[in-house]
Formats: sequence, structure tokens, C-alpha cells
Amino acid sequence: MSEYILEMRNISKSFAGVQALKDVSIRCKPGQVYGLVGENGAGKSTLMKILAGAYKADAGEIIYKGQRREGASAGDVIDSGISIIYQELALVPRMSVAENIFLGREPQRAFGILDLKSLHERAAKLTARLGISMDTSLPVSELTVAQRQLVEIAKALSQNADLIVMDEPSAILAGSELDQLFRIISSLIAQGVTIIYISHRLDEVFRIADEVTVLKDGELVETRPIDELDRQTLVKLMVGRPLDEIFPQTDHEQGELVLVAENVSTDTILEGASLELYKGEILGIAGMVGSGRTELARALFGADPLTSGTVSLVGEEGALWTTPAKAIESGLVLVPEDRKSHGLFTSLSVRVNITLPILSRLTRFGIMQSQAERAIVEAARDRLSIVMASSDQEAQYLSGGNQQKVVLAKWLETDPAVVILDEPTRGVDVGAKFEIYRLMRQLNDRGIAIVMISSELPEVIGMSDRILVMNNGRIVGEVAREEATEAGIIELATMAGAGAN
Amino acid sequence: MNLSARLFGGLSASQRLFLRRYGPIFAVYGFIIVLFIIGATQSERFLTVRNLTNVARQSAFLGIVALGQMLVILTAGIDLSIGSLVKLSILVSAIVMNGETNNQGAAIVATLGLGLLVGLIHGFLVNEVKIAPFIVTLASLGLLRGISLSISTSPVGSASRPFIMFYVQKIGPIPVIALIFALLLVLTALLLRYTAFGKYLYAIGGNIEVAHLSGVPVKLTRYGVYAICSISASITGLLWLSRMGVGDPAIGDGVELQAITAVIIGGTSLFGGRGTVIGTLGGVLLLGITANLLVMLGVNQFVQGLIQGIIIVAAVALYKQEGD
Ligand SMILES: Nc1ncnc2c1ncn2[C@@H]1O[C@H](COP(=O)(O)OP(=O)(O)OP(=O)(O)O)[C@@H](O)[C@H]1O
Ligand SMILES: [Mg+2]
Repeated sequence: MSEYILEMRNISKSFAGVQALKDVSIRCKPGQVYGLVGENGAGKSTLMKILAGAYKADAGEIIYKGQRREGASAGDVIDSGISIIYQELALVPRMSVAENIFLGREPQRAFGILDLKSLHERAAKLTARLGISMDTSLPVSELTVAQRQLVEIAKALSQNADLIVMDEPSAILAGSELDQLFRIISSLIAQGVTIIYISHRLDEVFRIADEVTVLKDGELVETRPIDELDRQTLVKLMVGRPLDEIFPQTDHEQGELVLVAENVSTDTILEGASLELYKGEILGIAGMVGSGRTELARALFGADPLTSGTVSLVGEEGALWTTPAKAIESGLVLVPEDRKSHGLFTSLSVRVNITLPILSRLTRFGIMQSQAERAIVEAARDRLSIVMASSDQEAQYLSGGNQQKVVLAKWLETDPAVVILDEPTRGVDVGAKFEIYRLMRQLNDRGIAIVMISSELPEVIGMSDRILVMNNGRIVGEVAREEATEAGIIELATMAGAGAN
Repeated sequence: MNLSARLFGGLSASQRLFLRRYGPIFAVYGFIIVLFIIGATQSERFLTVRNLTNVARQSAFLGIVALGQMLVILTAGIDLSIGSLVKLSILVSAIVMNGETNNQGAAIVATLGLGLLVGLIHGFLVNEVKIAPFIVTLASLGLLRGISLSISTSPVGSASRPFIMFYVQKIGPIPVIALIFALLLVLTALLLRYTAFGKYLYAIGGNIEVAHLSGVPVKLTRYGVYAICSISASITGLLWLSRMGVGDPAIGDGVELQAITAVIIGGTSLFGGRGTVIGTLGGVLLLGITANLLVMLGVNQFVQGLIQGIIIVAAVALYKQEGD
């Protein structure tokens, strides 16, 4: 048997008009971590879905454990020792944690009768091994996103795989959960498990990978040992040109007050939040996953009814809104974090997605002005460098990062006074990240105020003019940009007892 | 904040979850009790053994197909053809039996075989040709009905003597037909709770993509569930033969909608992935008792439809409170 556990040779794949992969080859040795990086739409997820048996390659071959693999189904692939943690969470919300972990491979007695006792025992053992304490009989819908991600990892572990693919497993993890993930990865490698790790967070790739493969526009750029790379070189390989990773700044003074929130609470963890927002600034909101940041955003936007407090735009005296529609009308928009369920019409075209909020501007006597519509979509595509076959492509077929760009584009067309961005660069590649940062500054220059929620501390510190730190549902501190350090923010965000009711 | 959260504020998370999930089903049963009280106080005939036996028997007719329908709906599918299949089943069984005790076995096998065949064809069209279940079964609603009425538009064939007697048989005070329904209820509940097949129904309805990627045998499960649903219709056809004594082609119309109604009142989501046997039983009983009571009280047919409509809307509004 060869020294490689997996070889994918000359893989090509196209989807109606889009060449997602062209002649890509990778190979992996046991007990190593392989970083797989590339811009949005480079074909990383597609390559892994071919490995998973979810898609069939147009050309090329897969040799796994010394054998050429032929037409395997998703179930066969799992049985052969390959587990995949998908980029988009793959759990059934109403089923319990234990049922999700063992879905498709439930411990059974004869005649397909389940061994429920062993199901729950094994699930509990797995979650304990992951260092998470949760009731495994709880439905997944009751968990936070970060907990769900951990359940995904538990599911992969339960399959006792020899090869685990992690497609952006860290996108929603932070702090201790992230450390937990890395601990698990090192213990897996020690057992000889091979890991393919996809991430847009390059520092993670440098932290754990032995070798890195770069894809660009569906083609293999290069595979190199990590020691022969530095960050700048890697970014250059990915983007195709050197990129200064410098956060764009503004030079103007603090503007006038635009939005005031006083003592806002909702029927969630959010408790007594007050903030002021000034024209042309970026207000960063930091905190752990589950600390109430998204709830704050939803409260400001009128998506959750307030149980106390007020939110108002200055100048529109008494212009209180209780619904998102009113908020948008008043000039406040929210770009939500969960694009699949809140931000995108996945089965509609990119064009419709972008222009939906501004249809009234694009119609004359109720009839679409397709010329104008096309122009707007083209402009958005260029500005955010959205990779798509055409603007008629359904949003669900865009790569994860490109979907995020479409969501952003949609709201930026509405010309708002205040924009709330919840994790605006989650799953977005480095190049596009800086596009988004530049775009945010352009909005600032037009006087638009931005509230930015982010789990990525370098981004929060690099982009915000002021930073509010949340902990356990409350705003526990404000940090000025000059004084902000990662350690300082983490301390505020994790301080026990802070913010407790 | 939704209504149930407000009502159940002081409870632990898992207690709240339990109430949120099952609260509406308790409400359905609560309503059944109210109907009983109304019946007992407003009508002399309602609370008699004779009438209750009747209600139990009639509920069994609807209940058996409702169980099959529920399983299909759990997978986010639907079966519109069961009424037509009940019709074809009573005809086939009556013709094959033709009044002879000797033909009973053949009639039962032929009828159940017919159900199996129809179910597998549905499974094939949904799985392999990838046509939406609504459309597949809408087509067979028309097709099976057409076949039935081309066989005969007036009663044909007949049941054997023992087969007719079967309808009135009792064990103690309980009709055998109601016992059969009870048995199927228990089996279905066990199936959902203790077998992999049962879990797969929820998984497919919850997220078919995830189910597929997790290695769930999606196709096999769907073949199975459509077969079970169609067989439940065949069984009901046989029971109708026992009741009518002849192959009456007027039987079966609208049964699919009744079954879907019961399933919805029982809290099963039409989008799949959510539903319980105990809920479906509640839906069946609620419909059965309402219909019976309205007849007892001499309420007009048209008003009955109206009241059923109100019940559906009220029930679904309750389940909405679950908020997911
Ligand atoms: N099912 C599909 N139908 C049509 N096009 C698709 C489909 N799946 C992927 N594509 C296209 O293939 C290309 C590669 O997508 P893929 O999801 O593999 O990118 P990625 O490298 O994982 O990007 P990201 O970092 O944003 O997740 C994209 O242009 C995408 O639009
Ligand atoms: Mg991807």
C-alpha cells in the first residue's frame, strides 16, 4: 500500500456553465493536517463534496486506502472511514443531539430496532470527550450555533474516521471553543487520523497545518509544506497578486449623533443595553458567541419586540419602529449573520436577491426597468467581486462567501442611514474581506453609521472607532480604538459574573 | 414572546420544551373532554354503549388511514390517493371474494397486494423520477378512481358471511375493528420511537439533504413509507367491505382530505419532521366525536363542515405558538 491514505487525481467538475474544478490533484498521508485554502468560489467545498460522494466528478479518480473508488454513495463513503463536517451546518433541528450524532448509523438490535440506551450513552461519552456538557436528549434546535458546531464535530468523531474533512469548522467558534477544537485535532492526529482543514482564517492554518494546498478559480495553484510559506506569500498565492492587509481608516472627526438606544431589553438574554451611534463611525460589538450580540442587533432593528427601553433615530423625533419594515423605512438595515435562513432567498436568482428591497425604485408604473436592474446588479458584482455564472444563477449555487457578498450588496443598495452588520466577513476570503472593509469606509464617508458585530478580534480592533464588549446579555464596557487589545477585550468578554442579572 | 412562553415562564428549560411541544395536543384532548361533557348533558343517546361503540368503530376507519398518512407527511410528503385506493380496494376485494368463504384469503392477499403495488409505484415516481409527492398522488387519485368507476358504477361482488359478521364482532364491549386500530396505533408509535426506520422518517422530513449526506437510506425509506400508507388504505377498503357487504363504488370519496385533516389537527407539520401518534389519535377522535355529536344534536350538514373548518384553524393556530 502506498504511503498516501488518499489521492484525488485530476479531478474536474462543472455545473451548468461553471467550471468549478479543473484537473485538481491532492494527496494526503496519515496523521497529517492539510490546509485547503482559496478565494470564495475557488472550488474547495466542491472538491470535498466529490470526496464525500455527494457530487460525482466529471473526470479524474479517487484512490483511497490503496483502492480506486468507484461510484460510492454518501453512506458508503462514511462506512469507508471518511467523515465530513460541512460548511453549512448539517443537522436535523428537531431531532435530539444523540439522534443527530448517530443519524444513519444508529446502534441497532435485530430488525432495525434501536438500542436507545447505548445511543444516549455513546452520545454522552462523545460530548464529554469534547468537553461540552449538554443534555443529549435535547433537540438541536434548542442549542446555540456554537454548540451545534460542536455536535457536528461529535458526529464526525462518532464515525471513527481515518480521514476527517472540516469545511470551515471554526467560522462560528471563538475563544475556548476554538481551543477545544484544536485540542481535538491534535489528539486525532496523534491517533493517526488525517485531517483536511478548510478555512479563511489563515492564522489557524498556520497554527495547525503541515501542508497547504491553494486553489484558485477551480485550479490547483500549489501545494507546499507550511514551513516554506509565510502569510504574505500564501495570500499572494490565493489572490494572485500581493495584498496589503491593512485596515482602511477614516480621518474625519466624530460626526453628529444618529441613533440612541436606552436601556433596551427583549425577551432574550439581552438586558438593559444602551448605546449611542454617531454619523460616519464604525461601532464594533465584541463578545463571545451567545453573549447577546445578535439579540442586540435584532432589538435595534425591531425584529424582536422590546420589553423595556427605547431605540430612536435622532431627528426623527418619536420615530419608533416595532417592525423591520418600519426600521428599513426609517433608514436602518440589518445584514443578518445566518444568511441561509434570514438573509437570502436561496432558490431565487442573484439578481432578484439584490434588487428585491429596492423594487419600487426600479419599476415604472409597476413594470420592471430591466435595463436599470441589470446595471445595478453589474455594479454590485464588480464592486464586491462576486463570482457567479450569471446574475440569473440561483443564490443557493453560489459558494458560501459569495452568498455573503450578495446579502451585503442587497442592503447597500437601499441607501440607509445606519447599517448593522452581523458577522459581515464570516466565510469571506481575505481579498473580499478587505473589499468589504473598504466598502464600509466608503459608506462612512457618505456619513452612514455602521454597527459591526464580529467574532474576529483583529477585525473588530482594526475596523472599529469604538468597541462595545458584551458579556452574558449586557454591555460590560466600552473600549476606544487606541486602547483596544485582544487580551483586554477577551478579559471583559469572559469575566465571570460580569453582566449577570 | 409567544403565548406559551408567557404562560409557562417559571419552568425549567426541558419542562418548557415538553409543554411547548405537547401543550397543543393536551388542548386537543381537553377539547375532546369538553365535547364529551356537552354530549352527556345535551343528548340522551350520546353516552350510551351503543353510540360509543359506533364512534370507536368509525374512528378506526379514519384512524388507520390517518396513521399511514401521518408517516408520509412526516417525510414532508403527502398521499392524496388513499380515498381512491379505498374505493378500488373495496371493489377488488368484493369481486374476488364473491360471497365465498373459501375466497377470503385470496381476496385479502389480492387487496393488500394491490396496496403494496400502488405504494411502490408512488415510491418509484417520487424517488427515481423525482416527481413531487403531491403531483404523483394527485395523478393516482384520478387514475385509481377512474379504474374503479370503469369496473363498476353500481355495487358489485359481495362479502362472505363470516366476513360480514366480522364488522359487528366484539371482545368484551369493544369492537374488534377498534382493537385492530388500537394495535396499529401502538405499532406505529413503537415504529417511530424504537426503530431506525422511524427516525429516518423524521430525518428526511427535517432535512432531506442532511439525511442523504449522513448515509440515511432515503430511497428505501420512502419506498417503505408510501407502501405502508397505501396498504393502510387497502386495509380500510377491506373493513368497508365487511361493513357494506358489497363492493360499493360510492365508498372512499374524500377520505384523503379527512385523513390529512386529522393529521394536521394532531399537530403534524405539513412541512415534515414533526408529528406524533398520540396527536394523530387526538385528531381522529376529535373529528369522529364532533361528527357524531352534531348528528346527535341534529345539526345541519353544512354547519358540520363549517365547524370542522373552525377546528382546523384553531388547532393549527395553537401549534403555531410553538414558534419554530
Ligand atoms: N450545485 C451547484 N450548482 C451550480 N454551481 C455550483 C454548485 N456548487 C458549487 N457551484 C459553483 O462552483 C464554484 C465553486 O464553489 P465552492 O462552493 O466549491 O467554493 P468554495 O471554494 O468552497 O468557496 P467558499 O470559500 O466561499 O466556501 C462556485 O462558483 C459555485 O458557484
Ligand atoms: Mg466552501
